Amino acid sequence: MRNMEMNKLLISLFLAAGVFSTQCVALDLGKALKDAAKQEIDKQVNEVKNGGEAAPEATPAPAATSATSATTTTPAPAATTSPAAAPVLPAGASPEATATTEKSQQEFNWKKPSKAEEIALGREITGSILGAAPLVKDEALQKYVNQVGRWIASQSERADLPWKFGVIESSDLNAFAAPGGYVLITKGLYQKMQNEAQLAGVLGHEIAHIVKKHQLKVLQKQQLLSAGASWITDKFGKNDKLAKKALANGAEISARSLDKDAEFEADRMGVVLASRAGYDAFGLPEVLQTIGQTNKSDNSVALLFKTHPHPDERLAKLGDSAGSKLDNVKAGKTLENRFYKLN
Amino acid sequence: MKKLLLLVLSAPLIALAGEAGTALKADSVRAEPYADAKTTGSLSKGDSVDILSKKGAWLQIKSKKSSGWVRLLSVKRGGASSNNAVGGAIDVASGRAGTGKVVSTTGIRGLSAEELKAAKFNEEEMKKMESYTQSASDGERFASAGGLTKTNMAYFKGAK
Repeated sequence: MRNMEMNKLLISLFLAAGVFSTQCVALDLGKALKDAAKQEIDKQVNEVKNGGEAAPEATPAPAATSATSATTTTPAPAATTSPAAAPVLPAGASPEATATTEKSQQEFNWKKPSKAEEIALGREITGSILGAAPLVKDEALQKYVNQVGRWIASQSERADLPWKFGVIESSDLNAFAAPGGYVLITKGLYQKMQNEAQLAGVLGHEIAHIVKKHQLKVLQKQQLLSAGASWITDKFGKNDKLAKKALANGAEISARSLDKDAEFEADRMGVVLASRAGYDAFGLPEVLQTIGQTNKSDNSVALLFKTHPHPDERLAKLGDSAGSKLDNVKAGKTLENRFYKLN
Repeated sequence: MKKLLLLVLSAPLIALAGEAGTALKADSVRAEPYADAKTTGSLSKGDSVDILSKKGAWLQIKSKKSSGWVRLLSVKRGGASSNNAVGGAIDVASGRAGTGKVVSTTGIRGLSAEELKAAKFNEEEMKKMESYTQSASDGERFASAGGLTKTNMAYFKGAK
């Protein structure tokens, strides 16, 4: 899907480039126009390289303007006939959607945010959670959790993200992941753990949510993003600013449930990621066991149980998925001696 | 009362004698902790078991019907009827169970959905979080200091 759209974009870039050079020869417009065209193409190619995939920021200002005016005045938008505008049309835009180009761009951006946009969204969400519960004031703890988390994340398919981890001041048992590589766990949950392998399993679960873009999918589904015009008119603005505008409420997403299947998938992946990193495979299941023993009426698990399947169900699912695959798993490390004790 | 219990049971991790457990699903009980070991019986979902010990991916159990080894992911710690009353012997053994079981400690707050919805972005805390970022090579150094070595393992497919 992603590749197809990338290809479409690249093809349209090539077409645009071809048209430009032909024009240059035929009309002998000289070096100035050639350079201008080259600059525009380079810019767009770079954005593609950066994972931008024709994000609306790439939209040249005139095209955006004409698209806007097209909705009110011009019946046939000039954009469809201008070679320069070709690459900026979202790959998913159908001809009949031209009257609402902005909407198409909004949807397109939504589905395929660039890495920078993903990180900006995650930063906004995470910063809002931190507004509700600040970091535990213990630098050694925070550094330790980042070290463990970074190593686990390096075993994933998105090792390139700038992964960030934190322990927050809350007695709840919970953990949060946000797009772009942000992971928070509560002090309450941390204190339930007994060794590094357990921490690795929990972080692995959260990392899996990010690798699989589970939250992004919820954002898409629930239309929490009010992208639209702001993504286009603020095209030269900072990603952070855009993310703030795009999210109706930063931390609200964290109070919502993902699909049950997303949780089961994150459990399966969490176990594997921790194992790949050299840890005992059963760290996450042990934490689930512990959480499962917490009384359902205990406030500390209210949000967790509201947003996740019960630990018993998660353990059973994990067992079904693992089948015999863990029977002879090489004994990994638990590193209880290195585990940072938090009082 | 609970604290006293914790103190008394400061046994090594392996000694799980007497801990109650419940079968989360039907599974075979084997003579030894290996998949190809002889089957000595079976568990049905919801069966009560006594957990005797743990070895790798396996738990040694005893139920009314049978005794032997089952995959540890097939058994939930704690009795069938209790959501909470039975503290895990594994927690107890580590000496850390006392830190979290009762969480309504003064001065520490929870985190409700309402609080999250009302939360305001905190730039200062965010910057602090960013300041703790570790690079991939930091992670590698940390791993080798702990004697951790990478292994290959494919993700599991979701069960039907």
